[in-house]
Amino acid sequence: MSAKAVNHQEIVQNLLSTKAVDFAAIGKAVAEMGPSIAVADEPWEGFCGTMRTFIHIYRVPTVGTPVENLNALSAGARELAG
Amino acid sequence: MLWDNEDLERRLCHALDIAKRAVEQLAATGYTDPEANQDRIRPEKVISETAVLLVAASTAASRDGVKARIQHVACLLMPHARSQRILLALCLEPALALDYATAHICLARLGYPDAAFDALLRQALQSQAHRGRERVPHRMLEQHWLMHALSGSWNSRTSAVMRSSVLNCPMDLVGGSRDDVYAFTHAIMYATDFNIHPRRLPRPRAAILAEAEAALARCLDEQDYDLGGEVLLAWPLTGVSWSPPSAFGFRVLARVEDQAGFLPAPSTRIERLTQLHGGDRSNYLVATAYHTIYVMGLLCAAALQPGRTPPCNIPSRFAVPGSAGRLLEILDADGHTAHWREQFDQLRLPERDALAGFLMNVGLRRAITRRDFDGVARLLRTGHGLGLTGTPAASQTAEMLNRLARLPNIVPVQ
Repeated sequence: MSAKAVNHQEIVQNLLSTKAVDFAAIGKAVAEMGPSIAVADEPWEGFCGTMRTFIHIYRVPTVGTPVENLNALSAGARELAG
Repeated sequence: MLWDNEDLERRLCHALDIAKRAVEQLAATGYTDPEANQDRIRPEKVISETAVLLVAASTAASRDGVKARIQHVACLLMPHARSQRILLALCLEPALALDYATAHICLARLGYPDAAFDALLRQALQSQAHRGRERVPHRMLEQHWLMHALSGSWNSRTSAVMRSSVLNCPMDLVGGSRDDVYAFTHAIMYATDFNIHPRRLPRPRAAILAEAEAALARCLDEQDYDLGGEVLLAWPLTGVSWSPPSAFGFRVLARVEDQAGFLPAPSTRIERLTQLHGGDRSNYLVATAYHTIYVMGLLCAAALQPGRTPPCNIPSRFAVPGSAGRLLEILDADGHTAHWREQFDQLRLPERDALAGFLMNVGLRRAITRRDFDGVARLLRTGHGLGLTGTPAASQTAEMLNRLARLPNIVPVQ
């Protein structure tokens, strides 16, 4: 490691110690905005602050939710047909 | 023997009948599930998608039943497509003008113009900010498609946009997400203009469809019929021939539609449906089901075009006898099952063997998802012996194994 190397963990720890980042407030904002961002067609990612990405909110794809039983759905099909 | 055109027409008419209900029930206010606010559908989405379905269906408008339904739904859609809400959006968000005007543009193309709306739209498109939204290539292609529909001619830069899209470079078939497949299917729809005024594709059809086959295998095995139907559009929208996997895919979707009464998506949940009554139940059903039903409508409209009809049977001229059985031995070991398997078991032996490439794609996808790299290598060896590895999915998988093989030289094995 060169003499000019920086310790990223130290930097992060110092920043956390300042308590400049209010994680509770971020959590509250995510809880409020998450549902609408999750269903929004665009943008594909949400960011706040400046053009730099501080917080990534990823939409997790629906995993493991299968199509329902086809025969059970056929009752709904009759309703759809009016 | 080709698929019965009367049957295709019946399926398309079903989609148009649901479009009527979607407009009546959702076009004014969209849909929000009171128990799950995140399950929200904006009215603009329903309005735009219905209009796109009508344009695609117009290629089959020589059939009286289709024509009458298009006219009826178009008349229902017009006040929503040009509502005060949309007009105001054109004024306030010119960068999204074409997005908001999608239904208006489609309706005008179908013979339902509106000069006043058109004038405001063109004013928005001349504003300084109208290009102020950054878009990914398939969304840029959508803008070009809409401008082409508005002006009657393709933009000189459309070819460059197509070259920057996934149509011009191999899709990531190993690590790609559902969004990547979505980008592919939409690029195909816009570039081909549903075969009304198609553009020349930036790569040979065979290269594009070889990747589509891998995406189709993934969709069928995950029972993702929404995306699977869109992937299937790639065949009738780009040429006349249907490969064995695409013919099989169409057959699977048709049988699933027959059994459920509509082509379903996971969004329609029986438990939630039983909790609802009256109008709430009806709105939930239409809101969660309409999109996949539209996809089946798009597919049948394309399949009704001259020379684009899928075969009833799986083309088996190049089948390697016994190849399907060899691969099924490997696939069946994981216990996974899907609707396609019921259809597969009903095929004649040569038809099954003709789908060995499909089975190979399914097997590779499953093994990669499980991170079972020994299983991946075993499949590639078996496939190589059967002459099935000359595909983009197999070669991309082999590249992945080569990268992984390099890892122990970099990261010590724990």
